[in-house]
Amino acid sequence: MSLKPRRVDFNEKWVGLQETVKGVITLGNVPRETWNACFSDVYILCVAYPEPYADKLYLETKYFLDNHVKALLEKVRANGEANLLKCYHKAWVEYSTGIGYLHRLYLYLNQQHIKKQKLSDAEIMYGSIGPDVQEQMEIGELGLDIWKRNMVEPLKENLVNLLLEGIHYDRLGEASPNITDIIRGVINSFVSVEKYKRKGKLELYEEIFETPFLQASGEYYKREASKLLQECNVSQYMERVIQRLEEETFRSNKFLHFSSFVKVKARCEQHMVADHLAFLHGECKSMVQEERCKDLSNMYTLLRSMRDGIGVLITELSEHIRAQGLETVRGLKGDNVHIQFVENMLAVHKKYRELIQEVFNGDQSFIGALDKACTFVVNHRPNPKMVCRSPEMLAKYCDSLLKKSSKGISESEIDEKLAQSITIFKYIDDKDVFQKFYARMLAKRLIHSQSQSMDAEEAMINRLKQACGYEFTNKLHRMFTDMSVSSDLNNKFNNFLKLDNIDLGISFCIYILQAGAWPLGQNLLTPFTVPQELEKSVQMFENFYHNHFNGRKLTWLHHLCQAELKLSYLKKPYQITMQTFQMAILLMFEKTDSLTCKEVQESLQLNSEQFGKHLTSLIESKILLSDTESQTPETVLTLNLEYNNKRTKFRITAALQRDSPQEVEQTLSAVDEDRKLYLQAAIVRVMKSRKVLRHNALIQEVLSQSKVTFAPSISMIKKCIEALIDKQYIERTPNSADEYSYVA
Amino acid sequence: MKVTIRSWTGVATWRWVANDDNCGICRMAFDGCCPDCKLPGDDCPLVWGQCSHCFHIHCIMKWLNSQQVQHLCPMCRQEWKFKE
Repeated sequence: MSLKPRRVDFNEKWVGLQETVKGVITLGNVPRETWNACFSDVYILCVAYPEPYADKLYLETKYFLDNHVKALLEKVRANGEANLLKCYHKAWVEYSTGIGYLHRLYLYLNQQHIKKQKLSDAEIMYGSIGPDVQEQMEIGELGLDIWKRNMVEPLKENLVNLLLEGIHYDRLGEASPNITDIIRGVINSFVSVEKYKRKGKLELYEEIFETPFLQASGEYYKREASKLLQECNVSQYMERVIQRLEEETFRSNKFLHFSSFVKVKARCEQHMVADHLAFLHGECKSMVQEERCKDLSNMYTLLRSMRDGIGVLITELSEHIRAQGLETVRGLKGDNVHIQFVENMLAVHKKYRELIQEVFNGDQSFIGALDKACTFVVNHRPNPKMVCRSPEMLAKYCDSLLKKSSKGISESEIDEKLAQSITIFKYIDDKDVFQKFYARMLAKRLIHSQSQSMDAEEAMINRLKQACGYEFTNKLHRMFTDMSVSSDLNNKFNNFLKLDNIDLGISFCIYILQAGAWPLGQNLLTPFTVPQELEKSVQMFENFYHNHFNGRKLTWLHHLCQAELKLSYLKKPYQITMQTFQMAILLMFEKTDSLTCKEVQESLQLNSEQFGKHLTSLIESKILLSDTESQTPETVLTLNLEYNNKRTKFRITAALQRDSPQEVEQTLSAVDEDRKLYLQAAIVRVMKSRKVLRHNALIQEVLSQSKVTFAPSISMIKKCIEALIDKQYIERTPNSADEYSYVA
Repeated sequence: MKVTIRSWTGVATWRWVANDDNCGICRMAFDGCCPDCKLPGDDCPLVWGQCSHCFHIHCIMKWLNSQQVQHLCPMCRQEWKFKE
């Protein structure tokens, strides 16, 4: 066959072609030769000489399809209303497949003739072409367009009614299974028929089907909701609604175009959840209080996507946790209040943390509620005039874990517990108070070598550093450094003694601490005459130290020094560890067996408070005997030569190491002092950068700066401002009452 | 001997003893540290010159490095030599 354009008779060719077209569109049997012949006929007509018949071919085909679809419409209608869906579907399946083939048969026309005159995207978007310009469509598109106009348009109302009815039966679970495919097919045809459009592909689908469908669904669910509300309680209601939502999800996957899914879901939720929000919210309180996990989980699922839906649930939960927390820490009694406090609080935290994880899918806003509630409980003061005891109790808790005495717990368990205590630590507002207490207890542990393990101590400090920053723990770190520096120093001193062949007669060990880093009450210092037996050693060390470190002055903290003594005047030899002051008192009895209080105190130069405290401990442990009930300067003290104890190695320092109420008081007032300095520094920093600032703005800035370590009271900030005005760091501006300016 | 001391564990704190309270260069207290340091103590030590004047080591080093001709004590203008 020649490809050369030639003269052809259109009518003659068209008659043959039309037969084949008919065969193709009805999926009849078209032999391959016929197909091939027709394929070339299309070509020949398109390139015909002298005048191509392409346009004519297009028109004729259009006319033919027009009639064909009209005939199909009659046929579909003839089968009656009841069979409409089924017949429409059948016709559509046939026609849509057929038109696909036909499109290929007209390949040449599509490719060469029609594509060339198509408008470009740009022309459609920006061109001044009116909508009435008829452009030729490719045959496949043309076929679908004709279907739309001749089939869908006249039938749409009937079809949609039938579809809605079908879906309604499906909702009721009464639909026959074989209709599913038909419904889906028909709905799909609304989408497919416009698939060639370059924009607004879903217009037809949305207009003729989706809108009424959503309308109908909405009404159905409105009815359903009010029916359910009458029938069941809230738990059942939620379960049913969730079930309905799931079914609807499944249904829309089954029948609808995927774009409708979101809309259907929104409509469902609107009618079943949002419309009854007040009812659901009303149920939250009791649900939370009774901790009905399943209900809460359902509630969360339903409310999650609602606007303002979840807030009520969060508030309720926060309040509930707060109440539970307060309940568990209220009225704790006994020696181990601190342990109970921390562990009860941790238990509450853990319980609700798990609940949130499980029930609310670990939602951040619920975690936030938990944090808020825990912060409230931890910083709660039963009596608003008293300071909050939590920082102290937490520090004590850590102390009890880190001390040697905690028996029966493995190291990993201790580690675990310490790690958890950080949880509570983060909730504490007054972190500086905690720091003070912690530092004091750490100092005692280090000096009296009571630490369980240095690794655990260091791990804990690192945790605090992580939570609160370097600034917060640097003093604690320096305490550690001092310990290792001291042990180096001890080695050096011992080597020095060995080299010079000096024997001190006692094993001598020393901690040299940096004055600023250790929270050791300087006010406990008392004049003290070092006993002869020690004097040489102390003198030796001081000389050694001054040779090594020029320009440093040592201050002995005798109230922290310890000695191990051997008593050889009794039936059995005893080894007792005690504090230096106790030792000094005991050493007085070397030459005599009885002395008056006055004699002892005068020769030791101790102040009365320390003397009394240490003397009492010796009398209580029955090493010394007193001839009166309470000690006066004239009381005669006698060495107890009948002393007897089952254990031959023990310590009598323990009672003295316990925290006295005064010490707590001191710690708290030290915190207060630190806070004032901190606030003044903060105010100066702010004013230095801003130069002029109003009172309220200054307060806000200072509050935000100090938030990390503590929550200062406004009155304290005001006092600090006053103090700085007195010190002439800042001044009031002359023309405004509540404005300050920085004085350089 | 009725009572013998077997061992003794002493505790003492140290602080600087200088002939002045403040560093003559940075005017900060010797108990504190120079303005470039964060922590007082071993990290920010003091040094004495043979003229017996005392400064933070960081302060006097900065001063000496800024002097091109002669190293003089900023207080008494004598030649600066570290006291051993």
